[in-house]
Amino acid sequence: MTVPVQREGDQIPAMALRGLVKRFDTKLAVSGVSLDVPAGSFYGLLGPNGAGKTTTLSMAVGLLRPDAGHAFLLGYDVWADPSAAKARLGVLPDGVRLFDRLTGPELLAYHGLLRGMDATTVDQRARELLDVLELGAGNRTLVVDYSAGMRKKIGLACALLHAPRLLVLDEPFEAVDPVSAARIRDILQRYVAGGGTVIFSSHVMEVVERLCSHVAILSDGVLRLHGTLGAVRGDRSLEEVFVQVVGGRVSTGSELAWL
Amino acid sequence: MAVTTAEAGPSVWPFVRLKLRMLVNGWRGRPARTALFVAGVVLAGFFAVAGYAIFAIPGVVGDERAASLLLQLGGSMLVFGWLIFPLLFFGVDESLDPSRFALLPLSRRTLIMGLFAAALTGLPALSTLAATAGMVSTVADLGGAAAAFVQFVGIVGGVLICVAVSRAVTSAFATGLRSRRSRDLAVVLFAVVAALLGPLQLALLAGAERADWPAFAAIADVLGWTPLGAPWSLGLDVVAGRLWAVPLKLLIIVVTLVGLLRWWSATLERAMLGAASNGSSRATGNAGSPTGLLLGRRLPRSRFGALVARETRYWWRETRRRASLITFSVAGLFLPVSISLSGGAAGPMAVFVGALAAVALANQFGYEGNAYAANVAAGVPGRVEVHSRAAAHAVFVLPLLLLVALVVGVVSGRPERIAGDLGLLLATYGAGLGLVLPVSVRGAYSLPESTSPFALSSGGGLAKGFLTLGVMLGTLVATVPLQILAWVLGSVWLWIGLPVGAAFGCAAYLIGSQVAGDWLDKRAPEVLVAVTAGR
Ligand SMILES: Nc1ncnc2c1ncn2[C@@H]1O[C@H](COP(=O)(O)OP(=O)(O)O)[C@@H](O)[C@H]1O
Ligand SMILES: [Mg+2]
Repeated sequence: MTVPVQREGDQIPAMALRGLVKRFDTKLAVSGVSLDVPAGSFYGLLGPNGAGKTTTLSMAVGLLRPDAGHAFLLGYDVWADPSAAKARLGVLPDGVRLFDRLTGPELLAYHGLLRGMDATTVDQRARELLDVLELGAGNRTLVVDYSAGMRKKIGLACALLHAPRLLVLDEPFEAVDPVSAARIRDILQRYVAGGGTVIFSSHVMEVVERLCSHVAILSDGVLRLHGTLGAVRGDRSLEEVFVQVVGGRVSTGSELAWL
Repeated sequence: MAVTTAEAGPSVWPFVRLKLRMLVNGWRGRPARTALFVAGVVLAGFFAVAGYAIFAIPGVVGDERAASLLLQLGGSMLVFGWLIFPLLFFGVDESLDPSRFALLPLSRRTLIMGLFAAALTGLPALSTLAATAGMVSTVADLGGAAAAFVQFVGIVGGVLICVAVSRAVTSAFATGLRSRRSRDLAVVLFAVVAALLGPLQLALLAGAERADWPAFAAIADVLGWTPLGAPWSLGLDVVAGRLWAVPLKLLIIVVTLVGLLRWWSATLERAMLGAASNGSSRATGNAGSPTGLLLGRRLPRSRFGALVARETRYWWRETRRRASLITFSVAGLFLPVSISLSGGAAGPMAVFVGALAAVALANQFGYEGNAYAANVAAGVPGRVEVHSRAAAHAVFVLPLLLLVALVVGVVSGRPERIAGDLGLLLATYGAGLGLVLPVSVRGAYSLPESTSPFALSSGGGLAKGFLTLGVMLGTLVATVPLQILAWVLGSVWLWIGLPVGAAFGCAAYLIGSQVAGDWLDKRAPEVLVAVTAGR
């Protein structure tokens, strides 16, 4: 499956998941997730903590081998033809360390060269990214000494550097300050406007509601609801839908009366 | 000691229960953890039985002088061990991490007593008590029930001192090493010290050969008046009729204990107040392009260049790796030099040094944990990955091998051997790499995400450590033909040794790296899972 069946137009979804399953020891973390992410969409993957978002995205980008199912990125099968799929992809994994004994500029250069870019392009883009994300192009601090938010930002810069067609971001806004978050939102929106596709996970409704064209709600490893933002939300707020779908409890007023 | 428990009252029980609960939970966990727990129990049991037997011998034999020597020296060594051990295994036993209690409204005294009680509730303290019970048996044999009772009080005090000293030192260490920089420095210093232990030991042994027993006995008696030895000599004083010494030594014990607990309490407070964030960001000079910063001048502007550059940076900047380089340098130089000084053959040492260099890569994927995800996500081909890692390692090791060959040639007064020895070194390094690279793909395991210095791999690492041993053995076997050849050829080897050895090493490396690269292409995600810490 080196060449996808049809490659013209936006027919092919940027990401297509088919029956992904992952079991850890006794826990079924993801049970049969199938999802199409249309090219050019800004897709939000919502779910409470432990829903299986990280596990799903890891399987989708080739970091975690699924027990069953397939994942296609831009038409290429991730697990049958990894190099073709990965070349067009930018990833910001969650809970994964960076090569943090490098400085920020070194780390970016490393990622750029890993992706086979030429040195001058790497230098130019790396400087620009460091500048825009306010990490400082001349900053000689090792990434291990960065704050959590700065680490997210340098990770994001690494994912963006080679101008991929598809961005998979796991919790990109976690621990990021509001100013940087606004800047990241801006960057991502321009990226999508330019024809790229973003899928990111989050458990913060406001961000998703503000940015996304499509959403999917995952809980307990099962995809509960997915579609365009309008279709999923209906005439309610996304938060109401989310709480209802995920099965959160609604306060009855009688509990915690002593509080 | 009696004082401490009485004062703390019932409030230490929650801590003890918590500790017990954690022990039980550890035991109910995954099979690997259960196995580790069982191994701990077996080890503690062995230590207890062996210790008891050793300490009980002088009593059985009825030798008072031997008893005085063994109890005081042995006891002092126990305390010393408790002092050193937590530094070696720093961060492994954070079972009751004081910082977790920081937010609870506990008085400092309650907290200290609770943590102390919890530390006493554990296999190490228990097996130490059981081992030193052998001393009570000895004293009973020598001086009867009354002396034995006094000795019993002594060993209880001794165990309390052991635990207190280890906790206090750990805590002081933890507060002293809050910043990453000082921790890194400590690891490196420690590696140097550890590497020097071998030479030191030889020196000590040489000293022991000349030393006489009266001198040892004198040392033992002096130790008996220090906190290290006082607890263990209480009963002996009764046996020897020095009753006046008992209250004095009891005083030493109590003062030591109180002092240690005070010190612990002080450092604990600093630990719980949290790190003063001295985030002095380094100079932000505008020093060149990002790729220039990463690659320097010489490396190619390519994927391979980037990988090699990152690896060489890591060998230098990552403390565990730097520590292993330092240990290797010291051992690699010291061993062959000492062997050739004593007139031994250089061949076997070449095998050993070359293999030792290679095994540093046995868990090369584990060093930086799941940061390896970046390479997996970028789809780096297995062979490129493997070659780049070996190349970066060789950048450090090859000059060292050359140095070893030079130094050995000069020290042994046979400079004509340098080229042949270097050939053997290259052959074993290559063969070692050829074996260790596939092993590093198949046998990768996670190291603790080390924020604490001296953290060792806790689970599974031990079994995987045997793989390393296997690689050493395999390298020995693989280079036997070459050793024989060098020996048979004699002076001819002096001429052909270097090219033949280098060719042998290259061939072995190429075979091994191809296998490793192919395996990595198929198993990169599995390697990533294996090196991911936790869970
Ligand atoms: N390596 C692992 N081993 C065991 N369980 C895991 C592992 N990774 C994730 N899990 C479990 O799988 C579930 C889903 O986790 P995750 O995908 O990280 O959730 P999310 O990212 O949505 O918060 C959780 O219950 C988590 O505990
Ligand atoms: Mg997650």
